[in-house]
Amino acid sequence: MNHPGRPALLPPTLPEWDPVWSRIVDVDTGDGEHAFHVLDTLEALRAEGIEPTGTILALHGNPTWSYLWRRLAAATVDSALSGGRAWRLIAPDQLDMGFSERLTHDGLPTPHGPEVRRISQRIADFDAVVTTLLAEAAGSSAADVAVAGPQHPVQAGPQHPVVTIGHDWGGVLSLGWAARNTDRVAAAISLNTAVHQPEDAPIPAPLRATLAGPMLPTATVVTDGFLRVTLRLGELSPEVRAAFRAPYESASLRHGIGGFVADIPVDERHPSHAELQRIGADIAAFDRPALLVWGPKDPVFLERYLRDLRGRLPQADVHRFELGSHLVSEDYDVPGLVLDWLAAQFPTASETTPAPEATPDTASTPRPVTAILDARADDETIASVDFSQEPAQQISWRQLWHVTTSIAHGLRDLDVRPGDRVSLLVPPGNNLTAALYACLKIGAVAVVADAGLGPRGMTRAVTSADPQWIIGELPGLGLARAFGWPGRRISVSPLGPLQRRLFRTETSLTELARTPHTGALPTPTGADDAAILFTSGSTGPAKGVRYTHADIAALAAVLTRVFDVREGTGLVAGFPPFALLGPAIGATSVTPDMSVTKPKTLTAAAIAEAIIAGDATMVFASPAAYRNVAATAGDLNAEQRAACAQVELVLSAGAPVPLDLMDAIAEVFPAAAIHSPYGMTEGLLLTDIDREGVAAAAAGGDLGVCVGTPIDGVELALAPIDDAGNSADELLTGTAARGRLGEFVVSAAHLKSGYDNLWRTSAQAARDGLGGRTWHRTNDIGHIDDVGRVWLEGRLQHVVTTPRGPVGPGGLEALIDTDPEVSRSAVVGVGPEGTQALVAVLDAEGTPLSPGLAPLDLSARLRARVAEVDGQDLAAVLVAPTFPTDIRHNSKIDRSRLAAWADRVLTGDGVPRRV
Amino acid sequence: MKITVTGASGLLGSSVARTLVASGHAVTTLQRRPSGVDGARDVLGTVTDPNAVAEAVAGADAVIHLAAKVSLTGDPSEFAGVNIGGTRTLISAAQAAGVTRFVHISSPSVAHTGESIVGDGAGPASPDHARGEYARTKAAGERLALAADAEDFRVLVLRPHLMWGPGDAQLTERVIDRARAGRMPVLGSGAALVDTLFVDNAVEAIVAALTAVDVTHGEALVVTNGQPRPIGELMSQIAIAGGATEPRLRIPVAPALVAGSLVERVWDLSDHDDEPPLTRFLAEQLSTAHWFDQRRTQEVLDWTPRVSIEEGLDLLAAHCAQVGAVEHEDAARA
Repeated sequence: MNHPGRPALLPPTLPEWDPVWSRIVDVDTGDGEHAFHVLDTLEALRAEGIEPTGTILALHGNPTWSYLWRRLAAATVDSALSGGRAWRLIAPDQLDMGFSERLTHDGLPTPHGPEVRRISQRIADFDAVVTTLLAEAAGSSAADVAVAGPQHPVQAGPQHPVVTIGHDWGGVLSLGWAARNTDRVAAAISLNTAVHQPEDAPIPAPLRATLAGPMLPTATVVTDGFLRVTLRLGELSPEVRAAFRAPYESASLRHGIGGFVADIPVDERHPSHAELQRIGADIAAFDRPALLVWGPKDPVFLERYLRDLRGRLPQADVHRFELGSHLVSEDYDVPGLVLDWLAAQFPTASETTPAPEATPDTASTPRPVTAILDARADDETIASVDFSQEPAQQISWRQLWHVTTSIAHGLRDLDVRPGDRVSLLVPPGNNLTAALYACLKIGAVAVVADAGLGPRGMTRAVTSADPQWIIGELPGLGLARAFGWPGRRISVSPLGPLQRRLFRTETSLTELARTPHTGALPTPTGADDAAILFTSGSTGPAKGVRYTHADIAALAAVLTRVFDVREGTGLVAGFPPFALLGPAIGATSVTPDMSVTKPKTLTAAAIAEAIIAGDATMVFASPAAYRNVAATAGDLNAEQRAACAQVELVLSAGAPVPLDLMDAIAEVFPAAAIHSPYGMTEGLLLTDIDREGVAAAAAGGDLGVCVGTPIDGVELALAPIDDAGNSADELLTGTAARGRLGEFVVSAAHLKSGYDNLWRTSAQAARDGLGGRTWHRTNDIGHIDDVGRVWLEGRLQHVVTTPRGPVGPGGLEALIDTDPEVSRSAVVGVGPEGTQALVAVLDAEGTPLSPGLAPLDLSARLRARVAEVDGQDLAAVLVAPTFPTDIRHNSKIDRSRLAAWADRVLTGDGVPRRV
Repeated sequence: MKITVTGASGLLGSSVARTLVASGHAVTTLQRRPSGVDGARDVLGTVTDPNAVAEAVAGADAVIHLAAKVSLTGDPSEFAGVNIGGTRTLISAAQAAGVTRFVHISSPSVAHTGESIVGDGAGPASPDHARGEYARTKAAGERLALAADAEDFRVLVLRPHLMWGPGDAQLTERVIDRARAGRMPVLGSGAALVDTLFVDNAVEAIVAALTAVDVTHGEALVVTNGQPRPIGELMSQIAIAGGATEPRLRIPVAPALVAGSLVERVWDLSDHDDEPPLTRFLAEQLSTAHWFDQRRTQEVLDWTPRVSIEEGLDLLAAHCAQVGAVEHEDAARA
């Protein structure tokens, strides 16, 4: 088939595309002069009187074109107009692609044939285009020329940084070019891409079909199959999909698509294999800032390619859009991420914040988390009692020290290195404690994804954390096998040969625990990561939360300082995160007989036996567990009752504790102070309220759930919420923060250090710099009352923006829930932002109410209550057939889904049976 | 101020005229029958009569144009004559008389295409898309009024939405009467969220527009209580306020739409002075959401609804109890 050439063209009118960005550039690419269509925002900037102060060089992949970068173009121009650094975007269409020149071809592309423009030539093409265009903006700054000389007039550096960004094969090509031009390039960014290693693993299945010899031209050139399939890897509107297709409407225009596919070096004999290996090696030598943006649902650019890139670019920041696919920039705000990241790397004079003079967070460094354990290596007193084992297993400090040290050596000998991640799929108890502290000793990072996330959520969580190792009991190993989790496998108990093969385990904790203590272990510092925990995922995919050794040490110190948990204290640990801190504090921890995922299985007798075994004076558990403890208290014998009476502190964490439950707990533990701290995965202990506090709060007239006052060491601020439902950038503290709806922002030494592989999420949550401290935006909203107590009213994204002002749903829910006809409620908004109608949705379950409109008298009563107490107008009261909640706590109501359901009902679409 | 009010025989028009008289304005009214407003000068006639119109607006500073043919069905030419022709005649006369403020009362149905409205603004009047003769002709009339807007002839359009309250014969009394007769249906789930307007608030909004038009003009504003409610719920509450029991009769939406169309057609063929029990337009109105963004309205008019829906229902109940007591006495006397 003969393919005639065609000159470069300007694109037709396309959605989201500004024609002023389009230009045709003729350059000599080393094999003669060629014409490129280039997206270049220089004109657009100069039309606004702006001269670029930075340049982004973007390269698309196959089968897209520079249209892929239209949103980045618009975002960079907008940002320049609003005073940010003026980034010029240069994004050429590759030759034979987009609206660039079509070369003459005598036949269809084949992997070894002559009709393919090879990656080495494509890097040369890119170099020729960008070198020509970078020179254009040079004249504007004499300083640049003086510094850099005539060869490379635009200098990489604080004056005018040049950065690259690429996607698909454009990712690896642009990274390769950046790595070879470090004299010009200040940073590099890539979206989903790959440096494929044929020796590692076969080409991903979807590509394999396309690459299979005779199929290649048919799939890519003769038909639009490859184009069509690729454009389905994102949620594209028909108009946008048509725009991506625009330059590829006929077979002769698609030669480049086939050529690109034919140039994928599937094996070592491929003509581009050697060049790709060179590119890979060059990328590994690139030491400038880098950002990897990833859509994990990509069927071709799989997790292993991200892992490979992170190995080559260990300095890279990573941001995963957990539900994103190949065309991740079509579905997610990649331009916003890129601009935020660039601003962080290359702040302009106005963006530079003065470095904090003192960092209170690290003013006092607590002792290492394994220090006490090491100090008690010869102590024969009880360290830990585990009732989850049959019979209960009791170990001394000496035994715990010995076993953790042995496992640490064993892991080291297996080549587990500091910073390696180890996913722990072990229920709380001695085994988990041993595995965790062994990891902590050698600086391996414990990844703790709890079963509360469900199999899918756990898979997403573990995959995003990308552990090198998994230590698991059989159920966990089964999940890992079924869902293809990454990491080498270690079982807890030794397995038989069949199970070893089935679960691909290499050894077991039991075997590792026999490792002799030879040679030195690596010593982690406080700044090193210690653990990755996960949020509950009630507002999207669960986020990984990074805790360093210093963070965990600070958390242990809080327990000592605030709740007097100290060396020698006996505590019953029925709540996972705190259950693990005993050895760090030197407290004797007892794991009661219960199923962690089913807290309701904790009985009063089980807790009493645990108290007796550990001579415990403290009990930690969740409200659901206490509910059952109270319900089964009648079964206690005299000895058990006496044991419960010796408890001095009862701590309930995970959810607020209503007064009636506080009273019920007090019946079981008559001598105990009952505390209910508030926190979250990102900051486990923030405020605290005791039984008297709950009673006092209930007597007042405030709306919401009172969680008490900040604990010692926690600074609390409020970011007020505006009419559009957004929280302000400015933080209020002290009395100025009282009596108004806002997002809670906290600062403390024991907060997380960041989110895992979520660069932008981390940056946004920690964007405040008040007082030179590090803050965390909690996403929780509510108000602070006139005596400084914190009242929760929901999540930031659940704020209802009525014309009467923003409403925190939790406050009104608390009010509505007091009605005898209501079991539980969700307050949501329907309609446009700023003028939403306020709607109360009631749970039908456990009530005689039927789905649809609530009865007239109930609606009228609730409406009158809301108007009286809060001055808000309740437009409607609906009854929903079911209430969607999170799996982990079965208590966090998915208000977004209920809002969507209410919206349909109130539009007049009937009453959908499913929420 | 000298103010001419057209259509002052209706509840809204007479209430506006009465309020203006009470505030010390010189009020002239124009309608077929005496307005019954003490202190107002009545000019008897229709807006389609140029002589009567000229007499009514002579010397006026401001005009409030409420007169319209509002029936949901009827002879198309009659709608056009009053709602388009009458408006044209009135505007010409007002311009000739040197009137500087013109408050035109329209209807949200002029921009209603049958789709649900969820917190939207007013939107442009569209005779081509509006449903039914009333809405089509009101849309054309509104466009005439807005087209006449100028610095020396300031036009502001108000679109009150589903007005109800004591004395309202259009919606309130019909709902009550049918509910008492056990013939008030709830369409579909009855959950479609709908904005309404209590009559006292409508009066005050129109009076506020007389001042506001001097500052903001050439614009249409939907006026509601800013308290959207599920339609079935509010209709039931109105019925109960009127002494009826809660309506239980439920009709699915799709059959109601068909039935509405049929009834309209049959009704047109026969001679009735009453409204048909159900029109397609009404069926749509009562089964899809239509509630509005009131922020602009309240800002422009510098007004907020004084009477909440709940207070309005209490006022309605008190009114109905009083009327009922009078009727009862009348019956006893007879």
